[in-house]
Amino acid sequence: MLDGVTLGVSGGELVVVEGSPASGKSTLLEVAAGARLPERGAVWFAGRNTATLQRASLPFVRRNIGYYNADALLVDEDSALDNVMSALAVRGEALSTAGARARDALAAVRSQELADRLVSSLSSGQRRLVALARALAGPPPLLVADEPAALLGEDARALVVSALARARDFGAAVLAATADTAWADALVAAGGRRINLCEGRIVGAPAIGLVPSPTMAEAREDEGPWSGSVESANGEDHEKAPALKGPR
Amino acid sequence: MNAAWIARNVRRQVEAHPRTVMATSVAFCLLALVAGGARLGTRAVARWGAFVGQNVHLVAYLAEDVDRQRALGLAKILGRTPAVARVTVIEPAQALARLNDTAQPFASDGRALDGLEPAYFPRSLEISLAPAADLTKRAADLAKRLRGAPGVTAVDAMTDGLARLLVWVKVGRALGLTILVALGLVAVLALVTVFVRNRGAVATRAAVLTQLGETPAAIRLPSGLWTAAAALAGGGAGALILALAWQPFLGRLEEKLGIVASQPPVPLAGFEIASGLALLMLTGLAMGYFATPLPQTSDHA
Repeated sequence: MLDGVTLGVSGGELVVVEGSPASGKSTLLEVAAGARLPERGAVWFAGRNTATLQRASLPFVRRNIGYYNADALLVDEDSALDNVMSALAVRGEALSTAGARARDALAAVRSQELADRLVSSLSSGQRRLVALARALAGPPPLLVADEPAALLGEDARALVVSALARARDFGAAVLAATADTAWADALVAAGGRRINLCEGRIVGAPAIGLVPSPTMAEAREDEGPWSGSVESANGEDHEKAPALKGPR
Repeated sequence: MNAAWIARNVRRQVEAHPRTVMATSVAFCLLALVAGGARLGTRAVARWGAFVGQNVHLVAYLAEDVDRQRALGLAKILGRTPAVARVTVIEPAQALARLNDTAQPFASDGRALDGLEPAYFPRSLEISLAPAADLTKRAADLAKRLRGAPGVTAVDAMTDGLARLLVWVKVGRALGLTILVALGLVAVLALVTVFVRNRGAVATRAAVLTQLGETPAAIRLPSGLWTAAAALAGGGAGALILALAWQPFLGRLEEKLGIVASQPPVPLAGFEIASGLALLMLTGLAMGYFATPLPQTSDHA
C-alpha cells in the first residue's frame, strides 16, 4: 500500500528506494513499471499518465521499461540469449542487431558464457543475472529493478551496482529498490539518490530531485522521453507536484 | 514484434516442443482421415445403393390367356412408369431354364426338376426398378397397382430380401459413421491433451512476453501459426494416405462383399482436398491462438 508517494526519476539518474520488507518498495516499483495500476494518483512516463491509459495501451508503455523483480520470470526452454533478445524484439529492435545488444547486456553482468545455455539448466543466481541482463538490454528508457542484488554473492552484488550505473550512464532512468542498507550505500556511492520508504510513505529526504523541475503538466507537454514519476495512492493534486524532466 | 521475430518465435517453439508438434500433426492427420473417409464412404454407400437398385425387380405372373403380343404390350406400358427401369417378358421355357440353373447346385444327381414341363410355368414380366433410396416402398406400391391390373394373376414384390439388404446397408452405414465419430473424438481428445499438457510452458512464455510489453495478439500468433502449420502437415499426410490407400481398400472390401458396382469409385477432387486443408489450417490457427493463456491483467496497488 502506497500513501501519498511522489517520486520522480529522470533520464541519466539512478534512484535507490530503501526500506524494510513490506514497506511498499515492490508495490512502488510495480506501479512505476506498469505492472500494476494505482487506485488513485498518476504515473507519468514520457509525458503520459499511464494510470489512465486503456489496458490495450499498457504494453506499449511496458516495452520501454526494463523491469526486474524477484520472480525473475524467464522462458526455461529458451537459451539465455533468446530470453534477453525477447525484450529487444518486443521493442522492435532489428533481428540483425538484437543478438549483439543482448550479448552486451549479458556481458554487463559478466554472464556472456551463459548465452547459449538453456535457462532450465541455470542455477537460481545465474537466472537472476540473465533476468537482470534482459532488463538492462538496450538499455531501456526506464530501468526498474526490485532487489536486483538479493541472494547474490559479494562479487555479483558489486557487479549489479556497476551494471545499473552503466545503464544510468547510457541515459536510462534507473529506479532500484532494496532492503539492504549496505548495498543501497554502494549505489549511493556510485552516484545514486537514496529514497527511504516506510509503511508506504517516503520519509527523510525529499522524493523529488534536487534540480528544480517543471510541473507535471509542463513535463507532459515537454514529452520528455526519459522522464518518469509516480504519485500514489492518495496522489493529491498532481498538477502542483514537482517532477524531474529528462533530456529530450 | 515484426514478421522476422514472429517467424523466429515459431521456429523456437517448434524446436522446443517437437513431440507436441508431432502429436498435433498426427491428431490433425486423424481428423483429415475421418473427414475424407466420411466423404469417400458416403460416395461408396451411394455406389452400393445403385448396385442394389440395379438388382431389384418384381415378377408379375400373367394369366394363361395372355399371349406373347399382349405381354409385350403390357411390358411397353409398364416401361413408361417412372419408377421402372426395364421390363422383360419371361417365357415359360425361360422360367424353367432359370429354375434349373438355380437348382443345379443343390441337386445331387442333376435331375431334381426332370418332371417339370415348361407349360407348368406361366408367362411373366420381370420388372427392374430404377435406383432410388426408397426402393422397398416403390416396389410395394408398384406391386399393389399391378395386382389390380387385367391379365396379372399374381405379383411377387420380392421386397423381403430387398428390405434385408437395405437393413444391412443401413447397419453398415451406421457402423461406419460410429467408427468415424469415434476416430474423430479420439483426434479431438488427442488435440485437447496435447494443448493441456503444453499449457504450462505456453503460459510461462505468455507471462514473460506480457511483462515485457508484448501485445496479446503478438503473444498468441506464434502458437497459432505453428499449430496451423502442424494442421497443414497432418492434413496433407491424411489426404496422401487416402489417395494411396482408399481405392485398394474399397476394392478389397467390395470383392469380399460381392459387390460389382457399375461405376469406378470417385477419389477426392482437388478442390475438396484444398478446402479441407484450408479448414484444418484455420482450425489449427484458431486453436493455437486461443489456447494460449494470457496472464490476468494487473491488480490495483
